Amino acid sequence: MDTADLLPLAVAVPLLGAAVVAVAGRWLPRPGRDALATACAAADVGCLALLWARTDPDGRAVSWLGGWRPRGGHGVGIVLVADRLGSGLALLAAVLVLAVLCYAWRYFDEPSGEHGGMFPGLLLLFQAGMCGFALTGDLFDAFVFFELMGAVAYALTGYRIEDPRPLQGALAFGLVNSAAAYLSLLGIGLLYARTGELGMAQIGAALDERAAAGHGRDALVVVAFVLVLAGPLVKAATAPFHFWLPDAHAVAPSPVCMLLSGVMVELGVYGVARIHRVVFAGAGGLPDAAVRDTLLAAGVLTALVGAVMCWQQRHLKRMLAFSTVGHVGLFLVGTALLTPAGLAGSAVYVAGHAGAKAALFGLTGVLLDRYGSVDEHGLHGRARELRLPGALFALGALALAGLPPFGTGLGKAVAEEAAGRELGWLPAVFVLVSALTGGAVLRAGLRVFGGVGSPPKEHPEVAATTGEGEEPEIRGPGRRLPAPMIAVPAALLAGCLAVGLAPGVGRALAAAAAAFTDRTGYLADTLGGTAPAATPAPDTDWTASGILLGLLSAALAAAFATAAVRRDPRRGTGALHRATVLPLRRLHSGLLGDYVAWLAVGLAALLVALVAQL
Amino acid sequence: MSRTTRLRLFLTAAAVLAAAVLAAALIVAAEQLPGFGGARHPYGERAVAAGLARQSANIVSAVNFDQRGFDTLGEESILFGSVLGAGMLLRLARDEHKRRPAAEPVLPTTRLFGATLLPLTLLTGGYLVAHGQLSPGGGFQGGVVLTTALHLAYVAADYRVLKRIRPLAVLDVTDAIAAGSYAALGLIGLAQGAGYLANTLPLGTFNALSSSGLVAVINAAVGVEVGSAVVVLLAHFLDQAVEVTPRRRNR
Repeated sequence: MDTADLLPLAVAVPLLGAAVVAVAGRWLPRPGRDALATACAAADVGCLALLWARTDPDGRAVSWLGGWRPRGGHGVGIVLVADRLGSGLALLAAVLVLAVLCYAWRYFDEPSGEHGGMFPGLLLLFQAGMCGFALTGDLFDAFVFFELMGAVAYALTGYRIEDPRPLQGALAFGLVNSAAAYLSLLGIGLLYARTGELGMAQIGAALDERAAAGHGRDALVVVAFVLVLAGPLVKAATAPFHFWLPDAHAVAPSPVCMLLSGVMVELGVYGVARIHRVVFAGAGGLPDAAVRDTLLAAGVLTALVGAVMCWQQRHLKRMLAFSTVGHVGLFLVGTALLTPAGLAGSAVYVAGHAGAKAALFGLTGVLLDRYGSVDEHGLHGRARELRLPGALFALGALALAGLPPFGTGLGKAVAEEAAGRELGWLPAVFVLVSALTGGAVLRAGLRVFGGVGSPPKEHPEVAATTGEGEEPEIRGPGRRLPAPMIAVPAALLAGCLAVGLAPGVGRALAAAAAAFTDRTGYLADTLGGTAPAATPAPDTDWTASGILLGLLSAALAAAFATAAVRRDPRRGTGALHRATVLPLRRLHSGLLGDYVAWLAVGLAALLVALVAQL
Repeated sequence: MSRTTRLRLFLTAAAVLAAAVLAAALIVAAEQLPGFGGARHPYGERAVAAGLARQSANIVSAVNFDQRGFDTLGEESILFGSVLGAGMLLRLARDEHKRRPAAEPVLPTTRLFGATLLPLTLLTGGYLVAHGQLSPGGGFQGGVVLTTALHLAYVAADYRVLKRIRPLAVLDVTDAIAAGSYAALGLIGLAQGAGYLANTLPLGTFNALSSSGLVAVINAAVGVEVGSAVVVLLAHFLDQAVEVTPRRRNR
């Protein structure tokens, strides 16, 4: 089979699988359904692994669907383009879906009968959406798969229907994301009207042609840039578009959170990078400096907001959700540098983070299963009996803080170094954000699994989401903990470790990042033509400074955590806390109207910031 | 003024300002768009030529099911996913139970209207799907018309009549099979080495029912999928509205 044929196959396999599972699930018993869905997910992993292996490190696999190749640079068809960053991200999504299916084997009290195939079927459709979004080279096609990913994720978020909160979270998630997607569609419409093309490479080439003919960048291009990026930026939970994420993650079932935080949010950053690079990075697009500065500012803001809010949470899933916001901010910073090194750092970071974060959500699922609560304060010391999950939880927290040799540590080190070359103070943001998020999770782990310190006093003046009174996600108390619920998080953490330890992974992602930033090469491979040799791959080996900064942030995280659990519970909060943190907490109002207002405010700010720099 | 009020006021003002900025930007951008009704249609010209070359009389269907068939596969999967998702979210919760829908009084004229229109609408829907490759309409539109036909029974009679003529379990399975068959039909081209979703079937004569190769087949699959999906989707919502009631709590 041709390498190019693997691209559509990677989308078709889960789509077909979803249909088969939905039909067979009506009659098959639970193990049969799970086996069928797991087999489909495994087949997709195999397909994408083959695609990854067969793509050149600095090349691309190109598939013109339906055989509609362009003639003379113009065509009518859709193209799928896989460089190793795209296929790698699709592979990561496939691996996580497989992990989630295994994790959920005996986890859920899934409905059976006519509803039997629904949950695994939706997971497979989710995989198809993520895979299509990662592999497509067509702007409208990207929108379609973005919507598929969204529609399925909204439903999965609201899975627990007995409780009104999941439906509210899913509603906020759905409305904010759909509103942003329609803005993206508006932007795509503007670009289509201008160029008569829908393919990313074709639009980019057409804009460059116009620029060469003297019709350079105008208001339409700038407005289209902001509108098209609205969808992926909201998906990437960039501040101030991040409000939906904690609301959705706090209420979605744990296996779904593993996917949302582990890879879906990161796909938003990927979408921003891909669309900017192919469509807007040429002569007819926007100047690199303006885009870099704007996205860097957004990334730093997101990282800081996520980290500060993460430290404030006692609801474990909300805490992990805000830690995702913080880390996605860092990924955006690395990506916004627009250099191969920054992108390579983000790529390694994303791979490592997916393992660590999914493992932590999985372990939180264990707590929910045992105690029906995810409240840091209420669970104080109650989970002492869970030794192995406790140890894994602490390891996950340290991985989140960037402790070498975890993959998160390597990614952080590479991105940090690239960022430091751009702006000297950016590494401090990386260290602070990973220390705060890792520290918050470590603090919760020490309290819940270790019973360290005295139980915290309640502060009734601060309205907080406690995380008590959650519906346990499974029925049948008193049964033994299903083995996959420990084995899968352990395997995911091992994967995070492998990203940092196996030198091949980092180097492959570095070459992939160099190929990703090679716009001329992308246009030449897609539309025909020759391109100059690609830029050399950046260095992604461990460096002494990287290891030291990683150790520093892990040590800081440990210090924060121990200081917090040792703190006298009777002490009040400081003036600085009241002046900065409380207003920030109040902004997270949980009101849908506020979130939509922030969407408008953020987009207007983005537009003004870009125009001011032109 | 309380903190919350102040915050709300600030946010409202900021949102109004932002909306004004965005609206102004959109107007400025729209000024740069090509004029309405111009002679230049870069994509349209290429799409018409490509569609005619494949013996497709309906160019919209040629774009939907052939030239950009992969988009339609994604869109149709969104519908399939929405049916699965709605079914999952609207399943009977532990604190709900179903009650029998009651018979409802209907004017004889209304019933006559429904009885006349139902077969006519079914016929129209079937015609739209069958001629999707030739004339305006097609699987998506025809499928929705077919659904409308069934629901005339609800409008002109009552829910019990709709339930009797609506084989829900069959339609649910049909929906999934039709959705999967679209993805599977793409494999024909792949197996023949022409690429996924390639139109390798015999193209037939222009403007005949059997023309345009794969377009006609996919069009039919989409018609079946949309027709059954919308019935199932509406059934989930109608069940909630008509049949499902929260169980009274005994305290």
